[in-house]
Amino acid sequence: MASKRIQKELQDLQRDPPTSCSAGPAGDDLFHWQATIMGPGDSPYSGGVFFVMIHFPPDYPFKPPKVQFQTKVYHPNVNSQGSICLDILKEQWSPALTISKVLLSICSLLTDPNPDDPLVPEIAHIYKTDRQRYEETAREWTRKYAMG
Amino acid sequence: MRSGYAGNESPARAESSVGAISHQNTAETFTDGAESRPLQSVGDHSVGVSLADNTLRTSVNSVSAAVGDSGDEPTAEIVTSTPTHVPNEAEDVSRPTDDQIIAQENSIRAAEAEKRPFVGIVEPLSALEEEYRQGSAVFRDKIRSLEMQYGSMRRTRGDGNCFFRSFMFAFMEQLVQNNDIPERNRVVTCIRQWKAKLVAVGFQEMVFEDAMEIVIDQLNSLGTAESLSVAQLEHNFCEPMLSPMIIMLLRMLTSAEIQRRSDFFAPFIMGMCDDEVSVEQFCRRYVEPMGEESDHVHIVALTNALLVPIRVVYLDRSTGAAMAGVGYDSAAINHHDFVPDSLGESPTPVNPRVHVLYRPGHYDILYPLTVTAANSTQIASC
Repeated sequence: MASKRIQKELQDLQRDPPTSCSAGPAGDDLFHWQATIMGPGDSPYSGGVFFVMIHFPPDYPFKPPKVQFQTKVYHPNVNSQGSICLDILKEQWSPALTISKVLLSICSLLTDPNPDDPLVPEIAHIYKTDRQRYEETAREWTRKYAMG
Repeated sequence: MRSGYAGNESPARAESSVGAISHQNTAETFTDGAESRPLQSVGDHSVGVSLADNTLRTSVNSVSAAVGDSGDEPTAEIVTSTPTHVPNEAEDVSRPTDDQIIAQENSIRAAEAEKRPFVGIVEPLSALEEEYRQGSAVFRDKIRSLEMQYGSMRRTRGDGNCFFRSFMFAFMEQLVQNNDIPERNRVVTCIRQWKAKLVAVGFQEMVFEDAMEIVIDQLNSLGTAESLSVAQLEHNFCEPMLSPMIIMLLRMLTSAEIQRRSDFFAPFIMGMCDDEVSVEQFCRRYVEPMGEESDHVHIVALTNALLVPIRVVYLDRSTGAAMAGVGYDSAAINHHDFVPDSLGESPTPVNPRVHVLYRPGHYDILYPLTVTAANSTQIASC
């Protein structure tokens, strides 16, 4: 059941790929995907290519996929392990959502961080009090870690 | 035990080997018969999570190992962490990791499953009486009143999906028992018509088409050589993938009905939520996610979506209901009939097809005395 749904999502992504991201199985395992997200043009992540790892649970889509950045990101809602603080990956997940929608939400999160629900309070603090410093650091990290 | 993870620990749950949510409200929702809302509670910032050291280490290990596996990308630096890495105090202490949340949910689910199958066996109402033997007199009196109208019940698991599960099981069981082909035909047509309506409110076909086919196939088997039996229905509703498929479809139909008639539902939704949520946000947050409890809005929407009248019988502490002709009866049971709008105009009274018992936070199935519940073939656990 889960693999049938994952197959459908894969076909949908191949047929109608989103402009700013791509995703597909990392190897032979259909439940383990790798995705790339292009840093949104209107954000300090612009120009960066961010790698994201996706693990589907055996009871997908009734439980959310596990999604983690593999590329280092300087962001209030992404920690040093790559964990992402995003409501639809946790309590707001529903089977009506898809990986495509999750990736688009992550793109939106890059453009509009949510400092009031931070995963890294220091970055959230800097984001709120010294936006310029946040943007400089985020750009620097993007150059350093997300540009080949 | 790392002090940062033990902040909110309650003694009652501290012994759990997997870790327990310690949150005042959460503790209350775990009482037997009440619906638990682990997802919402876990996501809440105020929740403290206590985890045994070995659990934490295991989840950190798995994160690192998984990250390490795919470290062959040349263009991007991969986050590396050693298995002994302890999350930085400032960034992680207040929030459990996804792995921890999942491990915790699984343990809660397993504990819940041991207590109760998704859909239980048919029990006489005396079982309910037994449950409240030491309880309040109001409940005992009401249960006796209930026994005048209802003969038996089935309990369902309190995992937030109990209304949808109780409703659909009771509805399908009745179709099977009566071999009610006209009603089956009607509801199959009705469900098929929802396909376009679901797409119209933004659901992608791939997210619901399998579930829809499964439900329709089960209904269509009625009257054939491979007709669905009550035993098969019990099995399907307890099957770990089939059961949530059915509930997911009902949640989507409910959401779509609410969104299609947002002018009608908006005032109710505004009254229910503290913060200003749009009808669409309400559906995303409180209807579509699995495990979100059902309220009047959900029931009104579902009864209209499938055109199936539902009676909800309330077993709560309120003392009595006004009885026509006999004044005030302290043991009278309140009930509310949810009648689809299109049937409400009917000159003859609309008989509910499905009866559910509501106790604060939970729904179970009730069988009126005139309807004999199937001899359950189900074993105690499934």
